Amino acid sequence: MPKAIGLITANYSTKFPSPLTDSRPAASLPFLGRYRLVDFALSNMVNCGIRTVGMVMPYNYRSLIDHVGSGREWELTRKTGGLFILPGSAFGTSRTGSRFLLRDLIHNKVFLERDSADLVVLSTANWVYSMDYNKLFEAHLASGADITVLTQAAKDKDVDVAGFEVVDGRVKGIKHGVVFGDTAFLDCFVMGREKLLEILDWFAATDYLDLFEALAGEYERVNVQTFDYEGYAAPVFNKDTYFKANMDMLDTKITHELFSERPVRTKNHDNQPGKYQPGCKVANSRVSGSSVIYGTVTNSVLGRGVTVEKGAVVNNAIIMQGCTIKSGAVIENAIIDRNNLVPEGTELRGAPNAILVKEKGQA
Amino acid sequence: MLLAGGQGSRLYDLTKDVAKPAVSFGAKYRIIDFPLSNCANSGINSVGVLTQYRPYLLHSYLGTGTAWNLEDGIAILPPYATQTGGSWYAGTADAVAQNLEYIELNDPEYVIILSGDALCRMDYHDMLETHKKNNADLTIAVMPVPWEDASRFGLLVADETGRITEFQEKPPEPKSNLASMGIYIFNTKLLCDELRLDAADPESEHDFGGNIIPKLLNDGRRLYTYKFEGFWRDVGTIASYHETSMELLGENPSFDLFQKDFPIMSNTHSFPPAYFGPDATVDDCIVGNGSKIYGDAVHSIVSIDSVIGKGAVVKDSVLLPGAIVKDGAKVINAIVGENSVIEEGVVFGSEDAGKDYTFCGNNVVIGKEE
Repeated sequence: MPKAIGLITANYSTKFPSPLTDSRPAASLPFLGRYRLVDFALSNMVNCGIRTVGMVMPYNYRSLIDHVGSGREWELTRKTGGLFILPGSAFGTSRTGSRFLLRDLIHNKVFLERDSADLVVLSTANWVYSMDYNKLFEAHLASGADITVLTQAAKDKDVDVAGFEVVDGRVKGIKHGVVFGDTAFLDCFVMGREKLLEILDWFAATDYLDLFEALAGEYERVNVQTFDYEGYAAPVFNKDTYFKANMDMLDTKITHELFSERPVRTKNHDNQPGKYQPGCKVANSRVSGSSVIYGTVTNSVLGRGVTVEKGAVVNNAIIMQGCTIKSGAVIENAIIDRNNLVPEGTELRGAPNAILVKEKGQA
Repeated sequence: MLLAGGQGSRLYDLTKDVAKPAVSFGAKYRIIDFPLSNCANSGINSVGVLTQYRPYLLHSYLGTGTAWNLEDGIAILPPYATQTGGSWYAGTADAVAQNLEYIELNDPEYVIILSGDALCRMDYHDMLETHKKNNADLTIAVMPVPWEDASRFGLLVADETGRITEFQEKPPEPKSNLASMGIYIFNTKLLCDELRLDAADPESEHDFGGNIIPKLLNDGRRLYTYKFEGFWRDVGTIASYHETSMELLGENPSFDLFQKDFPIMSNTHSFPPAYFGPDATVDDCIVGNGSKIYGDAVHSIVSIDSVIGKGAVVKDSVLLPGAIVKDGAKVINAIVGENSVIEEGVVFGSEDAGKDYTFCGNNVVIGKEE
């Protein structure tokens, strides 16, 4: 592996039309019960051998810091290298769509300057995939490109995913929103560390722009090429793609690809195994540790420490950590954020195409 | 000082390649998690773990102790070579005697000797308070056992203040029903002095129960009991391992892993949440992360990373971590070792075997011929 460092930009907003991101940055959105979105970006970097990772923080960083801590779970508590918490600019999140805000990179140039690595890989925390970045590095070094962006043919229309205009293998522009077949940007790219420092100097005066927007007039001068990732990758930029990506985890082929070859590391709570009481029914679901199930759970993803009481029914839903679904309650087509107590006999129903969201509770 | 060198030979193939304290228990734990968590929950910050039999898994599992909030507080103490050759640990007292250097470097006022192969939740700090209050030289944790079983145990006869007057090792006519749990608190100086004397005695078997305690009683030392009435199981045999596992199940289990104030900690790998297939049934089970259930799991422990295939049934059984029960197989009244495989259609165990549980060790494949 060439010597590389990683930089995760977590200081951008998403257009979640729901309360899920009112209280937390997108990077710390819970995913598949016991993970948070940032785990995928961090694990991908660590799994390919990177041991120096900077993380540009959003202003509401409490849950993100609480989750990554000193980086121990990712082997980033080290004498040399390790996890660097970098400040993000206050207005970083006000611009949606910009995920590699120049100001955030320029303000943290010292992180890039103090290391001697050849390559730097930058990523957001909004994609769910597990990849060996060495393949990206090899392609980058072989092609001689200045920047190699990770891409995939878009599987769906998605207004929040960025796409590239590619002509003869070279990127000629970036756009927001993709339709089926477009070259979707997985919000990850690799480039020479020194080249990045050089480019950052070009744009000091327009630091309110996104790196790829700023490059708009420069695609002749800067050789940007794509690397097509063929495996499973799911964008998570809004309520619908968040729900869909979670439900994808009920397909064991996908989870096998995501979790078996390389571990996805996360903050370990070391809680009890799940308890499934006499008379419960659980099918086509993922249930995290320390959950206690008396009732019925189908087609759902449950976080840690969820209690589903006798006679309660959960179907096609995401229930986050620490919720209690009281006896006789019914939850369907819904996302129940953390620490909710759903009272006896309550019905919380969305529709398959209009998922209901219940904001964080106080339980 | 945590005695973790035991083989646990009555667990047969379950301890063929791991020491008894490293045997998996309760879907995600290993037996040693219980005494280590007790240490952490009791405010003990330095734990010497004495290992000997098949120590690799145990050593790698312990790491630096971070998993039990014992950051750098664990010292792994296997037998070692010296200028005169060194020797294996010949008994419980010998194991500690060979590591007096560790004790003296830590320089504590008290030393607690623990067994690494029993399951219990116990506040050692409370035991220490009793030890101090009695101004004792040695305090021994005891547990009342039914009188009819008493003659199977090492028994301590004590007066109404708890002071020990007599020690009876598996006596035909018990005078007490207080069984020693193998947990001792010593004043450090006395422990070091006595272990040095014992090491020099060629007649001694270097055993705490057999040699050290009788001698201290003879010497008229202040030996006291600490009565423990909570959950304690030795899991020394296949039957007791199976039955203790089953005690975790049900709505009001006699051993509740979910008790909040005294958490059992472990050093587990990170797995995704448990998966239940479209046709899965799960009834009265404990299921660890990373496991995949496509068939039926009934009244069983399904450990981390294990698989129950389509149409397979696991009933009244324990699957250890990584065990795979393939499509259509049946596991009944049985224990399947770590990473072992029950091949398609095989029936492992039976409904009417009573307490004669079927079991296999780690990393084996049970095919149709078996």
